[in-house]
Amino acid sequence: MKKFYTLFAVLLVAALLLPACAPAEADCSSEDVFCVGLVTDVGKINDKSFNQSAWEGVQRAEAELGAQVQYIETADAKDYDKNIATFGDAGYDVIVTVGFGMGEATVKAAGLYPNVDFVGVDQFQAADTPGVVGLNFPEDNAGFLVGALAAMMSESHKIGAVCGTDVVPPVWRFGEGYKAGAAYVDGMMGSTTEVFVVYHSDVGFDKTFTDPEWGAQTAQSMMDQGADAIFGCGGITGNGAITAAAQAGAYAIGVDADQYLTLPEAAPRMLSSAMKLITPGVFDLVKLSHDGNFPVGNFFGAAGYAPYHDLDSEVPAEVKAEMEKINAGLLDGSITTNVPPVKPE
Amino acid sequence: MDWKRFSFIFLIIIILFSVVVLIGQVKSSPIVIITSMLATTIAVATPLTLGALAGVFSERAGIVNIGIEGMMLSSAFFGWLGAIYMFHVFEYSIGISITMGVVFAILAGMAMGLLLAVLSITYKVDQIIGGTVINILAVGLTGFLNRQMFFGRGSVFEGNVPNSPGVLPTIHIPLTEIFSPLCNSADCILVVTSINKVFDQKPVAIAAILLVFVSHYILFNTRWGLRTRAVGEHPKAADTVGINVIKMRYANVIIGGAFAGLAGAYFTIESVPSFEPLLTNGRGFISLAAMIFGNWTPIGAWTAALVFGASQALNINIQIFRDVIPPQLAFLQQSYIVGLIPYILTMVILTGIIGRTTPPAADGIPYEK
Repeated sequence: MKKFYTLFAVLLVAALLLPACAPAEADCSSEDVFCVGLVTDVGKINDKSFNQSAWEGVQRAEAELGAQVQYIETADAKDYDKNIATFGDAGYDVIVTVGFGMGEATVKAAGLYPNVDFVGVDQFQAADTPGVVGLNFPEDNAGFLVGALAAMMSESHKIGAVCGTDVVPPVWRFGEGYKAGAAYVDGMMGSTTEVFVVYHSDVGFDKTFTDPEWGAQTAQSMMDQGADAIFGCGGITGNGAITAAAQAGAYAIGVDADQYLTLPEAAPRMLSSAMKLITPGVFDLVKLSHDGNFPVGNFFGAAGYAPYHDLDSEVPAEVKAEMEKINAGLLDGSITTNVPPVKPE
Repeated sequence: MDWKRFSFIFLIIIILFSVVVLIGQVKSSPIVIITSMLATTIAVATPLTLGALAGVFSERAGIVNIGIEGMMLSSAFFGWLGAIYMFHVFEYSIGISITMGVVFAILAGMAMGLLLAVLSITYKVDQIIGGTVINILAVGLTGFLNRQMFFGRGSVFEGNVPNSPGVLPTIHIPLTEIFSPLCNSADCILVVTSINKVFDQKPVAIAAILLVFVSHYILFNTRWGLRTRAVGEHPKAADTVGINVIKMRYANVIIGGAFAGLAGAYFTIESVPSFEPLLTNGRGFISLAAMIFGNWTPIGAWTAALVFGASQALNINIQIFRDVIPPQLAFLQQSYIVGLIPYILTMVILTGIIGRTTPPAADGIPYEK
């Protein structure tokens, strides 16, 4: 019987160790194998917006460049270094770190792993670090576009935005851009639009992006006060807000990706999404690394707004034309949002 | 629950509301602000209230329950999963799927309650550890199953998260229809429609308030309640008069699990029709604080939950009126300062400035004959 227990214990330990070595992967430290690893910010890989878009860019590299790809989800901000090191030690060629919060950890890791190319999504590089490229987006432009759209479509002339924490500059720029867009439309049409922008400001930085219930209640509160278009900017928190808005019949506006495609619950009332073209941005940088032309410093991706999908017939032709004009104006610089890159103290 | 405590709670709620009304009145009429804040307060307090009731039942019977968070999280997941299976796999109608989702959530909560009961009553595991086991288990289990079923290669739904059948509808109480004909001015109609918004809540929110009073009645006016409290205060004495201590404790912990299950249903079947890992975000622990502040009574716990609801309503509304905050209160423009308010309130009301709270005497002590 004692023998049986010993055997059982050995099997148990083996079972515990098994998942750790299960994926039989090619050796990333070899020259011939191109490996791309992605570390998410706190938040999940399937968040239907930010992390997921970046991961799709990496998956595209798998399909088109034959890269070996893998991701690690960060459960706690304390694990940033450890998660990056997992890929670094395995000899990965490119490591994509997603999110503003990981900026410092990425720069630090670049010193430890000089042979690895780091792509830092949403990490503005104030100074150049060899081996690190910050992939940035003009969030204020994206926010401006949907702010203008919401202001033109709102019947109550009250529109809202439910965001993650404004400590994160891209989130703040979305919110400010949204206000600026509405103000631009007001200036053009002589209307007065009230804009409610609420940031989730909890002491836990990570919590502010993963709280759908808070998002839903905040959106509901705005609708109680008359808002009829809600922009959800802030990961899963924002998803909660736009789902609640869609259910109440208000216009829902997504963020980062075309959320019509990723958030079926809100799709029927999804007016548009403030898009950061993260997927092509990540893919382009991975490809540059693959071809040996990896840049240094900052790399700017594109921003835009998503198609109207189901609400296409509800959006008047004048509004559509105006949106195209505004988008063109933002691209050629004739319209500016006047939003600074970081929140002034 | 003494009057001192109640008045303290209402004072805080009134202060929170008046701050917003004073700031926001230049932009919006006070009645709209107050009713909107009240509606938010009641909705936000729902899971906290139910979670606190879960704690009240279990702790009144002598079992410390710090696993409320985990119970909520797992029932949120299984309720949502149940609704999706009923809708997509078994193809029931939306209404039946959602209702069954609520039932599944409650069952999941009861299963977690049973686990806590087995650990802490039968095996006499330290009850704090038992609760922690539940919290950790819930995070791992829901995260793992969510991944396996919905995301990635080889998952059950092959990476396409199926559309959830939806959320429970708002129950409209026709105050507007009844009272607006009596109005003779636009202001009066505005008042009526605004007040109506406070009462237009969703089923779980309404159930939570009813359950507060039902629980109060059960605990303090029935034989069952008396036995529950006896088992939690002095199990040996209860045993001597022929009460089955083990059975009473099991039953109450499982009932508590059912309340936590309903709180879980609030998240994924009433508030948003989707599950996200860790979506309860510590609300189980806040309900624990509400339970303690409410001195282990249902009504007390409910009013404490309302304070937390009100502080969230303040957080939202202060930001809505950010542009009109007077310069002498400029610090309120910083969202992180407003975000601190619930935490400051938790500390204030738990420090005991309005008197000590007393847990049931045998709370946390395993019963040995």
